[in-house]
Amino acid sequence: MKKSLIFYEQKYSKHSEELLEVAYRVHDADPCETYAVSFDTSGDGEGVFDFFIKVDCANTSGESSLLCDDLAEMTSAMAELQHQYAFDSILFPATYLGRMLAPRLAMRLNAGLIADVTDIRRHRGMMEIVRPAFGGKLMAGILSRTVPLMMSVRQNVFTDQHQEKKETVKLQHFYSINHEKKSRIRLLERREKEISEDIRDSEVLISGGGGVMRNFSRLIELAKQMNALVSASRKAVDSGIAPRSIQVGQSGKTVSPKLYMALGINGSIQHIEGLKNVETIISVNTNKSAPICSISDIVVEGDAEEFVDRLIEKIRREKQKDSESLNHQATAFPAAIENAD
Amino acid sequence: MKIICLIKFVPDVDSFKYDHERNVLIRENVRMMLNPDDACALAFALKQKKKNPETVIEAVTMAPLSVIPFLEDVLRLHVDQATLISDKAYIGSDTYVTGRILGRYLASTDADCILTGTHALDGDTSHIPSQVAELLNLCQMNNVTEIKEETFSKELATITVSEEASTATYELMMPAVISLRKERKYKLPYIKYEDLNKDVSERLQILDNRDLGFASEEVGLKGSLTQISSTFVKTMEKKERLLVKNDEEGIDIVYAFLKEKGLV
Repeated sequence: MKKSLIFYEQKYSKHSEELLEVAYRVHDADPCETYAVSFDTSGDGEGVFDFFIKVDCANTSGESSLLCDDLAEMTSAMAELQHQYAFDSILFPATYLGRMLAPRLAMRLNAGLIADVTDIRRHRGMMEIVRPAFGGKLMAGILSRTVPLMMSVRQNVFTDQHQEKKETVKLQHFYSINHEKKSRIRLLERREKEISEDIRDSEVLISGGGGVMRNFSRLIELAKQMNALVSASRKAVDSGIAPRSIQVGQSGKTVSPKLYMALGINGSIQHIEGLKNVETIISVNTNKSAPICSISDIVVEGDAEEFVDRLIEKIRREKQKDSESLNHQATAFPAAIENAD
Repeated sequence: MKIICLIKFVPDVDSFKYDHERNVLIRENVRMMLNPDDACALAFALKQKKKNPETVIEAVTMAPLSVIPFLEDVLRLHVDQATLISDKAYIGSDTYVTGRILGRYLASTDADCILTGTHALDGDTSHIPSQVAELLNLCQMNNVTEIKEETFSKELATITVSEEASTATYELMMPAVISLRKERKYKLPYIKYEDLNKDVSERLQILDNRDLGFASEEVGLKGSLTQISSTFVKTMEKKERLLVKNDEEGIDIVYAFLKEKGLV
């Protein structure tokens, strides 16, 4: 029986659950037990994993927060788990925390680590772990020579659902912090970002690239009208008009909206790599042979900035019409009652 | 105070050409540049030095000897010292081995702070800063968007990091590894005109494996725990599509489509 350990953060539980698929694909034909490990919750993961390990500080002198901030301590706790259970694979979602913790643990365990994995495939009889390189211009198949097999996995890529319900066994791991030593890191403040919406959670994305850079803020207006979020291509981000947090693509985020509206985006392969299970793509481009157009459902040939203005205007007019007819109905309604009398 | 900037020169990935006939990426003869995140690390260090002239900055990189001209330009920005770690035996090292090589050198220095970038344009694993910190038993944080200049000292650094949906401020005890993210406020200055051709060779030290002393099976492809077995370029699948013009009719079609899908 193979054992796979999956790093679990309460906030990103969905991404940890995606790693079940990775564990099954990595261990292929072998039966595999899945263990989740969490530092911040013990109540989750019910029915999803075979085991759920909550790591607690042995000393409960109110310093439990230390564990989630001091990565060196978290590394030690996870190394203890590895020595106890001898996992065959250790998987991290490529979250902010996961991407700092995985390399530390790999170094501690003298294990190879593969970052930001997007696929697992068999190639010439070997298991290859696929990740992008050079900003996604090239994909690399990687072999790892060590056990445990360690990787951080791109979110929203392995989206197959596992329906099978597990009888999750809850475990607790006590980790003793050396309290003699003064803590080397202290959290002073944490605040939600002003634009707290994550483009990965939006059903509709209005995405801008090189063709809308002179008037990028108009996209926000269109997004508002459509109850959508604004995202951007790497070109727009590199030029400084859009923050990196809304970048779609291999060096940005992978998104799965119902509608992706690509405005003035050429659609290099590394941009398209960031689109996964998108229901509909509408692209607006002066070049109808741009790569993005070949995967679009509707291609609008023309200037994207003009298109944005036109569509905003159209939506506004239609909304006005709707509200007028509603008003009309509202006034017509009492009259209808009178007539009925 | 001594600051070490761990930097890397990377190919400008945008200048890559693609050979469609052979389905390969042409990686030869591309322009090299200082990795943008690392440039921010260097820019912060130089800013500190301007304020406190007694600050000593050392730039450290592991690369082929061909980066010497780039390192010389870094020295011409008034970085005090540059160290190039270069050995044919190190070719093909994965992040684990690279981390150990850099870690061994850094352990021999007496840095009060190690600054790095978070992402590199070429590999983009972000492994090295965390792995070096692990070897040196130091704290390390990625995606640092600001280091508070007023409190930055030998003992302490106050940093702001950008997490997924939040921004956090931490106090780190020094020494620590601080990994910056590209931010416009940390911009590298230009080389002064009078320094353009300045001879800086005596401030550049080149180390090889005779200095670091790894066994040959510990480094390079042999020592690496992961290995690239194939590279390929993704191709796209074609789709049936509807082509419209950017005019009244086109907008009506798009609108009707959105309406049908319940998106407006």
